[in-house]
Amino acid sequence: MKAFSRATVLYNRESECGARRLGLKLKADGLRPGHFFMLRSPNTIDPLLSRPLGLYRVLDAAGEVLPVKRQSPFSGEGIEFLYNVVGRGTTLLSEKQPGDELQLLGPLGNGFPLPQDLGTDKAIMVGGGMGIVPFYLMAALLKDGLFLFGARGAADAALAEDFSGLPCRVEVSTEDGSVGAKGLVTALLARELTPDSLVYACGPPAMLKAVAAMAASAGARSYVSLEKTMACGIGVCLGCAVKIKAEHAGARGQLKMVCSEGPVFDSVTIDWDDIC
Amino acid sequence: MSEKNLHIKENKIDSSVSLGGLNLKNPVMTASGTFGYGLEFTPFMDLASLGAIIVKGLSLKPRCGNPAPRIAETPCGMLNAIGLQNIGVDAFISDKLPLLADIDTHVIANIFGETVEQYCEVARRLEDCETVKAVEINISCPNVKRGGIVFGVDPVEAAKVVSTVKKSVKRLHVMTKLSPNVTDIKVMVRAVEEAGTDSISLINTLSGMAVDVEKRSPRLGTVTGGLSGPAIRPVALKMLWEAAGVAAVPLIGVGGITTTRDALEFIIAGAAAVQVGTASFMDPSASQSVAHGIDDYLKRHSMTLSELRGSLSTP
Ligand SMILES: Cc1cc2nc3c(=O)[nH]c(=O)nc-3n(C[C@H](O)[C@H](O)[C@H](O)COP(=O)(O)OP(=O)(O)OC[C@H]3O[C@@H](n4cnc5c(N)ncnc54)[C@H](O)[C@@H]3O)c2cc1C
Ligand SMILES: Cc1cc2nc3c(=O)[nH]c(=O)nc-3n(C[C@H](O)[C@H](O)[C@H](O)COP(=O)(O)O)c2cc1C
Ligand code: FES
Repeated sequence: MKAFSRATVLYNRESECGARRLGLKLKADGLRPGHFFMLRSPNTIDPLLSRPLGLYRVLDAAGEVLPVKRQSPFSGEGIEFLYNVVGRGTTLLSEKQPGDELQLLGPLGNGFPLPQDLGTDKAIMVGGGMGIVPFYLMAALLKDGLFLFGARGAADAALAEDFSGLPCRVEVSTEDGSVGAKGLVTALLARELTPDSLVYACGPPAMLKAVAAMAASAGARSYVSLEKTMACGIGVCLGCAVKIKAEHAGARGQLKMVCSEGPVFDSVTIDWDDIC
Repeated sequence: MSEKNLHIKENKIDSSVSLGGLNLKNPVMTASGTFGYGLEFTPFMDLASLGAIIVKGLSLKPRCGNPAPRIAETPCGMLNAIGLQNIGVDAFISDKLPLLADIDTHVIANIFGETVEQYCEVARRLEDCETVKAVEINISCPNVKRGGIVFGVDPVEAAKVVSTVKKSVKRLHVMTKLSPNVTDIKVMVRAVEEAGTDSISLINTLSGMAVDVEKRSPRLGTVTGGLSGPAIRPVALKMLWEAAGVAAVPLIGVGGITTTRDALEFIIAGAAAVQVGTASFMDPSASQSVAHGIDDYLKRHSMTLSELRGSLSTP
């Protein structure tokens, strides 16, 4: 259930790759891959707004990562985020110690459509950088999952080890070729894509645009998780609008809210020229 | 025991307020554009705890608003350039309003137009909708017949909007929302009051701007936008206080109200009621907390809301 609550920090540590793992004690249910939460520090008005972070993993009462079952929605006694420190909000977040409290709104967004609901248990997940986040839970839902992970270098690529216990094949590409294939993750996708592929993608806009174009020309279905600057996270400030192609626009016109109508969209509906 | 103390002993705080014919159970409303159409907040709070909800600004035709980025955070505040995106008054009446019919608080529709006629037509269409108890006229909208100058910075044009809207409705309470982007707020207060407004809310957002120095580009798609949040509270409070010095109609304080204390500042300076805006983004139950907090304060000080209003003692 969507709720506004306070949650205690269980851990907040830097991982091998520099990204941070944040574990929060929070009884949560109805969790799906692609859901996100709005997080903020209580007792401060600077920075003012909450920051969106995607749900990474689900924890038990002791703060251990729950072994995932092939069953959605997920529930647990805690949740884990994986985030990069990029600016003021995430710097402040990185300073939180175990026992500190955070304000939390969520789970929010539509999440990825479940493979089962799309009539398959096979999918290709494409993640770039922090775009890895929704795919831990997604991989748990697939019988025959393939995760293509685009990392900058060896340090980032180490994150893929989180997936080692999952029933999922992982292929890595790095821009510098230090681990896996050298180049962009889209090159890995090109090798795997067939007309009956189901593709899920999360990552930088240029990657998503390329994945959408590749899937479309292969005749495959693809769903992408988009990012926009957000203030409210619940569809009321209208700050996070994304442009939908005219032929897919509903009665409400060509704009959709990433926070409440997304963040996951069928990629054919997106006006990619408006994104990048 | 005085009647007042008896009242308080029974633990019934009367925080109801009458805004010239519009009776609210308490003085807390939600500011337009920060509370959607209300129902988005039901998972987080009880809408019945509010005096009124003011919905997103409505125009005659749907509007899709401005290009991204539409939001930029600034110190203790935020800039927005949403561009008055909305579903239009007709879709509001057919799709949203029926869902609001049963909520136990008043619904106020915020309206705007690019011409005086458009303002009136939106108001006229709402006149027949029982659920809507008042219109709040947002005069911070460009006037296409005057080269896009905002109605709200010109006392003559602002008065024209207010008097014509007022004439085109019978049942609806007419609240006028002032822009702070003027030299003297008192001039605007007098102008809309003479034009017949039933109450005045102030302030709308202050114009502002922010630059991304790495990209050397504006942080909003439209370059400039409207500043809101705690950063503007002292400015809003001063304008409310100035307005209180000249206005006869009830005033509604808006601008950066985040906590009960903030709301009390405005009431003490002369506001009959307040609106909670950007604070709802940080905490979706902020408006409810403010409403409860005002009750607690009145209880603690054994005061009524009308005793509190304008009780500022100046040197
Ligand atoms: C639905 C959603 C889910 C997200 N999930 C995650 C996640 O799981 N892990 C994670 O690390 N991040 C995630 N993000 C991105 C995260 O929200 C931003 O990195 C964060 O808000 C930046 O806040 P800040 O105050 O640190 O940076 P700011 O001070 O706001 O910005 C600093 C710099 O970072 C850039 N920046 C700001 N926002 C973003 C953004 N959304 N994407 C990329 N760059 C940005 C700015 O342009 C600026 O240059 C997600 C975003 C969305 C919309
Ligand atoms: C995202 C956003 C959208 C807004 N939309 C409207 C609107 O449609 N009509 C209006 O009169 N005011 C609008 N406002 C102004 C607010 O109602 C309020 O006057 C202003 O934000 C100051 O109050 P605050 O600091 O409490 O937010 C909007 C403000 C924000 C932040
Ligand atoms: S963040 Fe407010 S509408 Fe999406």
